[in-house]
Amino acid sequence: MIKIENLHVSVAGKTILKGINLEIGEGEVHAIMGPNGSGKSTLSNVIAGRDGYEVTQGSITYKGRDLLAMAPEERAWEGVFLAFQYPVEIPGVNNTYLLKAGVNAARRHRGEQELDAMDFMQLVREKAKLVELDQSFLSRGVNEGFSGGEKKRNEIFQMAVLEPSLALLDETDSGLDIDALRIVAKGVNTLRAANRSIIMITHYQRLLDYIQPDVVHVLADGKILKTGDKNLALELEERGYDWVREEAAA
Amino acid sequence: MSASLQHIRDEAWQAFEARGLPTTRDEDWKYTDISRIQALLGDQWWQSAATEPCDAASFVIAKLDAYRVVIVNGHFDAQASDLPASVSVKSLAAMIQDEPEQVSELITYRDDAFLSNGIVAANSALASDGACICVPDNTRLDKPIHILNVNSGGTTHLRTGIHIGKQAQAEIIEHFAGNHNNSGLTTAVTAIRLLEGARIEHYRLQMEAPKQCHLGRVEITQQRDSSCTLHATEIGGMISRADVVVRLQQAGASCTLNGLFVAANRQHIDHHTRIDHNAPHCTSRENYRAVLDGRSHGVFNGKIVVAEGAIKTDSAQNNANLLLSQHAEIDTKPELEIYNDDVKCAHGVTVGQLDQNQLFYLKSRGLSDDEARQMLTFAFADEVLAKMSNQAVRRYVEHAAFAKLPNISDLEGMLG
Ligand SMILES: Nc1ncnc2c1ncn2[C@@H]1O[C@H](COP(=O)(O)OP(=O)(O)O)[C@@H](O)[C@H]1O
Ligand SMILES: [Mg+2]
Repeated sequence: MIKIENLHVSVAGKTILKGINLEIGEGEVHAIMGPNGSGKSTLSNVIAGRDGYEVTQGSITYKGRDLLAMAPEERAWEGVFLAFQYPVEIPGVNNTYLLKAGVNAARRHRGEQELDAMDFMQLVREKAKLVELDQSFLSRGVNEGFSGGEKKRNEIFQMAVLEPSLALLDETDSGLDIDALRIVAKGVNTLRAANRSIIMITHYQRLLDYIQPDVVHVLADGKILKTGDKNLALELEERGYDWVREEAAA
Repeated sequence: MSASLQHIRDEAWQAFEARGLPTTRDEDWKYTDISRIQALLGDQWWQSAATEPCDAASFVIAKLDAYRVVIVNGHFDAQASDLPASVSVKSLAAMIQDEPEQVSELITYRDDAFLSNGIVAANSALASDGACICVPDNTRLDKPIHILNVNSGGTTHLRTGIHIGKQAQAEIIEHFAGNHNNSGLTTAVTAIRLLEGARIEHYRLQMEAPKQCHLGRVEITQQRDSSCTLHATEIGGMISRADVVVRLQQAGASCTLNGLFVAANRQHIDHHTRIDHNAPHCTSRENYRAVLDGRSHGVFNGKIVVAEGAIKTDSAQNNANLLLSQHAEIDTKPELEIYNDDVKCAHGVTVGQLDQNQLFYLKSRGLSDDEARQMLTFAFADEVLAKMSNQAVRRYVEHAAFAKLPNISDLEGMLG
């Protein structure tokens, strides 16, 4: 699905990612864990195509194409989805209208017929149920006045509607209480599919109790320092990150 | 014409001759150079009447069920109008004939304000027509009144008087429009008086043709517990200015001013508002927004004066400006003069471009750069328009406002 090779990225002249290598196959779920400031959001922003990140070396190949050459909206049409760590509020832009525009832009891109209003509403209602998002949220401004947990649920709701091939969940679990975490995890689990890959960025192993990853990576100091299975997450929870750093330095 | 009306108009004319037009040396007119209007229309700018006919029917607002007062090139058109039976609506010209005393009062709406500057003085001396609306006490107008002022260029002076009786209620849409390529000037002075407990929702839609200039003034005087909501939208014209003056004269009066201007190309749009809190326990809310594209220039000046005795005043003012082009400019200035301590006054100003985080969010969901910009621009402006309770008017304004910005193609879709 996606292959990242020797990726170096700098922001405002400061090198943040220092040679990331990562390959994720179709249908796989990978967790990326790492201390604050290690470059996890930088990586997800670069994949989604945000301005202001300079790729100084390396490449990202997505579905066989050069991802870095694509505009952010084109990446979205091709199935890249980022659930933001801090979803922005956009007052006055209707949540449903945004999704309808997004879904139909992707359909046009694929040469498919656009969904009409009725079909779309049906789709949206069905997906809202998946994350137990109250119908009233559909007609509100994007994230406008949403609580932290509601914003995260809205991100997963959008993922459900847009049906991406590659979903990046950037700390979607942070700030959720247990109930909200369960709902979000249930939503994500429902969305697991053979043709959909998921990258979960998280601080906490508790998320991995609910969503079982195939692979766990440790991102620290701008590099993937260690890769393992879900037991690695348990070990990190117990021992912190320093031992990984020491091991990598040795 | 009765002696006294004639006298008042002579006095206004003399004031105009003595004072001339405001210049950019006047603090209040620093940013709006109306000598350009003079240069455009020539020495006799105040009387260059239009001669071409114009089609008022094309400016009817779709889906608006309303009474209509149609004024074409400064003259009331009885045939195109549809007046209510229960409420007195007359043309100024007819009143000059039949009830000159009433007109005197309308023109001298307060003290010597009709002489306050050259433009108002010229309008007071020369106004040819306009709507005079009087809603009796305890009456609720069953439908809005749409005052449609259309022109084919040239100079017209319009005078409108609105009197809402005690506990009476009305919705009025004052609309200035034209579809021509001529130069011209509209001066429009509207005096609104709200008696005890009266309520008005007043729309001012300035949608002049691209080369028309427009100098407008709305004077609102409010008595006890009256309530006024003004939606002031400035969209058309080449050089335009709107002065809104609200005087909260008695306790419990409240006013809400919702302003939007959308300017493109080389348009110049100036909004001056002044709210006088002259009595205790009055409330004012003011929210003005500007969207400026191309090389347009916007001016906002919001003055709030709280008198010594106006304790428990509750006032909030906000002005937000969106610059879509690096050549667009805004001069914005809130002015608060507060003469007592027992007040709540908040104000804020922002000037900015579209938010990069919001743009990226929308694009990451599959919207093109153009679509994302449109959507955010629309959302910014619509925050003001959404406060209109009349949905037909709101839709009409949305279309007019966004038709002139580039790349707003799928407005219908956005309106959902
Ligand atoms: N726009 C930016 N400008 C300057 N520094 C940035 C910017 N974005 C991120 N950084 C820096 O890059 C580093 C990595 O940040 P980030 O990717 O957000 O880390 P993580 O998501 O792992 O907590 C941090 O030191 C952060 O301060
Ligand atoms: Mg982060």
